[in-house]
This record gives sequence, C-alpha cells and structure tokens, in this order.
Amino acid sequence: MLLPLVALLLQFPAQRTIAIDERLADDAKIAIGDKLVVSAKPGIAGDTVVVSAILKRGADPSEIARSEYQVRMHLGQLQKIAGYSDRVDRFAVATRGEGATEDAMRAINSAAFGFEAHRSTDIAVETSRTYQVVSRFHKAIGVITIVASAIFLLCIMLLKVEERRRDVAALRLMGISRSTVVKAIVSEAALLALVGCALGVLVGFLSSRFINWHYQNVYRTPLTFSLVTPQIVTLAVSLSLVLGICAGLLASLRLVRTPPLSLFGR
Amino acid sequence: MILRLAWSSLRRHSTRTLLAILGVAVATAMLLDMVMMSSGLRESFREVLLSRGFQLRLAPKGTLPFDTDATIENVSAIVARLRTNPDVSIISPVLGASIHVSAKGGIVTSAALGVNPKVQGDYELLSGSDPLAADAIVANEDFLRAIDAGIGDTIEVSTGYNPQLRTYSGTRKLVITGRARFIYGAANQLATAMQLATLQQMSGPARHDDASLFMIKVRDDSRVEQVRKWAEREIPDVSALSIATALAQVDQRLSYFRQLALILGTVSLFVGFLLVSTLVTVSVNERVGEITVMRALGVSRAHVVQQIVLEGVAITLAGAIAGLGLGLITARYLNGILADFPGLPVAIDFFLFQPRAAWTALGLLTLSGIAAGIYPSFRAASLPIATTLREEAIA
Repeated sequence: MLLPLVALLLQFPAQRTIAIDERLADDAKIAIGDKLVVSAKPGIAGDTVVVSAILKRGADPSEIARSEYQVRMHLGQLQKIAGYSDRVDRFAVATRGEGATEDAMRAINSAAFGFEAHRSTDIAVETSRTYQVVSRFHKAIGVITIVASAIFLLCIMLLKVEERRRDVAALRLMGISRSTVVKAIVSEAALLALVGCALGVLVGFLSSRFINWHYQNVYRTPLTFSLVTPQIVTLAVSLSLVLGICAGLLASLRLVRTPPLSLFGR
Repeated sequence: MILRLAWSSLRRHSTRTLLAILGVAVATAMLLDMVMMSSGLRESFREVLLSRGFQLRLAPKGTLPFDTDATIENVSAIVARLRTNPDVSIISPVLGASIHVSAKGGIVTSAALGVNPKVQGDYELLSGSDPLAADAIVANEDFLRAIDAGIGDTIEVSTGYNPQLRTYSGTRKLVITGRARFIYGAANQLATAMQLATLQQMSGPARHDDASLFMIKVRDDSRVEQVRKWAEREIPDVSALSIATALAQVDQRLSYFRQLALILGTVSLFVGFLLVSTLVTVSVNERVGEITVMRALGVSRAHVVQQIVLEGVAITLAGAIAGLGLGLITARYLNGILADFPGLPVAIDFFLFQPRAAWTALGLLTLSGIAAGIYPSFRAASLPIATTLREEAIA
C-alpha cells in the first residue's frame, strides 16, 4: 500500500522553494506561495519555483548604491540553472576561536589546491573602502563646519559682550573689580554656550532621526546613516563650551581694559 | 556720501567687522563647494561619457556598463542588426577581462579591453600605434611600469584563470605597440587593450562571440532617443543607455552627495545671513542716537536704509570674495579625498569649477547680504525722531 505512494512522490518531486528580497516582493507584487519561473537568461526555459520566504535586507553598506534584487536558492538548483555543475564561488567556514582561525587558514592555504582563505574582517575592510572614503570626506566637512561655527560663536559672543558696554562701565564706576566683571561675563558666556549646546544636541538628535528615516526609505535598507553617540555629544558640547568661554573671556578682557568713561562714550 | 558713511561705520569696530568677514568667507567657501559638488559630478561624468562622441551604450540587460561580469552573446549578429539602422554611424563592441603577465618574479594582473582599434572610444593613444595586428597590445603607463616593459617588447599574456585547476583559458604572446591613457580607468589601475577577436579567443569557447558593452555613435543627436528605444526593442538581451539615462542612473546612485550639497549649502547661506544680520542689527542699535540725529538734520529715510543695507552688502561681498579663493582650495582638498573612491575614473571630478557655480554662490550671498540689512535698516529709518533723541539725551 505504502510503496506505490513513495514511488509516486519520487516520480513527482516537490517543487523547489526560493526566498526573495523584500524589495523584489514589493516591486513585483510577489507574495509567499506564488510560483515563479527562474532561468539564467531572459527568454529561455527555466525551473518553476515556489516563493517560501521574503527576506529582510541586511545592513550592508556595500549594497546601498546597488539597486539589484536578491534571491536565495538551493545550491544545487542554482548550480544547475547557472551551468555551474558542482562549483561554488566561496565557502564560509566557522572556526572555534582566533587560534583555530589561524590554523585553518594556514592549513587551507598550504594544502588545498585552488583555494585561498581570507579572514572575514579582511574581506569586510576591502569591501568597505567606499565607506572609508565617505567617512574621510565627512570628517573634512566636519572640520570646516567646526571652523565656521567657531568664528560664528566668537563673533556672536563679541557682539553680546559689546552690547553690555554701558553696564560694564557702570559696574566699574561703582567700584566692582575688573576680575569680578570678567568672571561675571565669562559665566554668562558659559551659561549661554551651555543652553545653546542643549538646544544643539536636541536639534542634532532630531536631525539624525530624520536623516535615518529619509535615507532608509530612499535606499530601502535598515542601515543606520547617522548615529549620535555619547562621544560625539561630549565632543560637540566640550568644543562649544571651550569656544564660548574663550570668546567671552577675550571680549570681556577687551572691555575691562577700556576706561569706564570711554565705554560711556565720553 | 553713503559709501563713506558705511565705510566709517564698519571701520569703527574693525575687529568685529573682520570677524564677520571671516565668518562670511568660511560660509562662502562652503557654499561654493556645495554648489560645485551639486552639479560638478554630473557635468564631469557627462563630459567623460561624451569625450569620444558615443551617445549610446548597450550593456547586458538590467546592468550598467562593466557593473557585473555579465556579457552579451552573438556580437556579430547584434552588430549586423544595428547596422540596419541608418541612424547608427559607428558601432564599437568592447569585451572586458582580466589578464595576467609574469613579471618581476610574480604575476601582474591587469584589466584588459578587447576593442576594434579603428573605432574604439576607450583610450587615447599617447605614443606608438594602435593594436591593429592580432598579436598587438597597448597599455597604460601603470601597466608598463608594473611589468617593466616598453613599446616593442613581447610579453606572454594569459586570461581566464581557473583558481581550482590553476590554469588559464588562453595564453598568447603579444607585442606592445603603444602607450595609452584609458578614459574610464581608475587611478593607479593597470589597463591594456587588444583586438576584440584576440581577447575573445583567449577567453575560451564560452566567450568566442561575446562583448561586455557596445558603444554607438548616432549620426544626428536629435535621433538618439529613437535609436535607444529601437535598440532595446530589437535586441532584448540588452539595456540601451543614452547619456541622459546614464546620468539619471548616476544621479540615483549618488543622490546622497547632491542632497548633502543642498543641505550644507543651505546651512552655509543661512549662517552667513544670520551673521551679517546680527552684526548689522547690533551696529544699528549702537548708533540709534547717531541715526536719529541724521534724520533730524534732514537725511531721508531712504538714505538711512541705503547706508545700512550697504554695510551688510559690503561685509557679505568682502567675505564672499575671500571665500571664493578659500572655496577653491577646500574643493581641491575634498576632491582629493573623494578621488580615492574605488573604481572611480580619474577623469571624474566631484568638485568641478564652472564660472556659473561661482556666480551662483556670489549671487546668493549678495541677496542674503541685502536681506540681512533690510530689517535693521527699516527699523532704524522708522525711529520716532523726537522720542529717540530725548531717550538718548537722558541715557
């Protein structure tokens, strides 16, 4: 009774399954369970397969600028369709720790004919060269932005302190010491810089959220484009505070050295 | 008179004016760089694509030229089909591959192009002659240096490396006949070119009639789009790309840089505007009494407005002129960073200087300078004379 059923199943093997990329599923309106015909070239006879899974794209920077679709097939089926017989492009090998990786690489490179073993990290470095260039470009733009911000801040602080000419003159005439005036102005500058920093961090955080949302939609990837880390916040806040205090100090020193009556315009 | 007043007002606070000019200069430099970047890459790419006059390219279906290892089969049949279109004047099929040459005790690997030397559009000959014979090859300076050879030398060239068997699909002795500059070659990329048939034969039976790309010249520029559509219809295995479609693809892939240019350019302009407007506003606040006295003496409102707007424009223009030079220097530096993009042709510039870019930056800044002076100038011009004089006298 069972034997004829097995024979029947062997005669008509189950249809092979395929997993497709979510972008392909969206663009071609393909759903799980749909049947597709896959072939190595357009217009030639191919294999009929059933879509069994839709894959979420990985956060791989090297795929960002490429608009191509991706599918995952059973190895044997792809070998047959592509005319690859029993060949593969590469093997991924998991090792038991750093020492084992070294041993495996040495063994493969010295013994296996026609193979060359590479560390995953080396391959990652090689494939992310584009992003290293972009990162250097961002750093250069960052330096220019910092210079522009520093000048802007210095100018604003100078103006802010200059506005207080008459107040400073009055304080000096009342007998308040130069150092007290300088301290008061520097404290004010620091407070101003601190409030500006808090606002800047908030704007930066919101901008970062917007940039990620926008580019993740544009490139249809889960990759994070903009990251606000504690180190970045610390750097920005420290830089702004130092610049603000320096600007306040310079401007206040300039002001207290001027005779009070001159500050009044007399 | 107005100029002299504006000048003396700016000179009164020279440190402040100098800082504002410096700030505007940095903002201008950034703005110029961003204007250059927003259009430079596209323009530079267009110039490279059109440098040899080919308006159309046919690549394997769904790919960009040399984007993948895919090839187009039946080159002879496709060339014959393309020749039936009277609008097509020149067809240049190109096959890309890697070649390997033994030199200096090791193997030197280089990119190789199989071309028809009489109609090719991939290289410019610097010295020697084209590879007109089947056993001839031309190479770029980097390749000749890597193998320590020159024109007239014979080299053994292999292609189609099988890593499992460590064998080649074809090996042949070729004579170096010329030194060339490859138009689409990346920096430090080793590149060579030989006859298409030679490379096809060396690549083995699977590629005996293959090409990676067809470059096509159309007689009349206005017929390019019609020929493109015709080619895609007649040859289903290819994607036909005109300069416009290729630029659209580049735009799509590098949209990030255009958007970055737009954002940073806008921020630079805004920072410049904010700086000048703050400075002019503070300067006006300090001179309220002086301005009111001028008004009391009979100086017209228009005159006051003109003087204050002129102060803003003067700061902006002084900063902008300094910033243009600074912008060109930083553009060169930034271009040097982006030139390291893997596979980017040497001829492509991200920051391409065009007079239009400089005029655009200058125009935008002048407008922002005028806008920065408008509010404080109107505020100053509309001060009530008697009240302000009284307040100033009490102060």
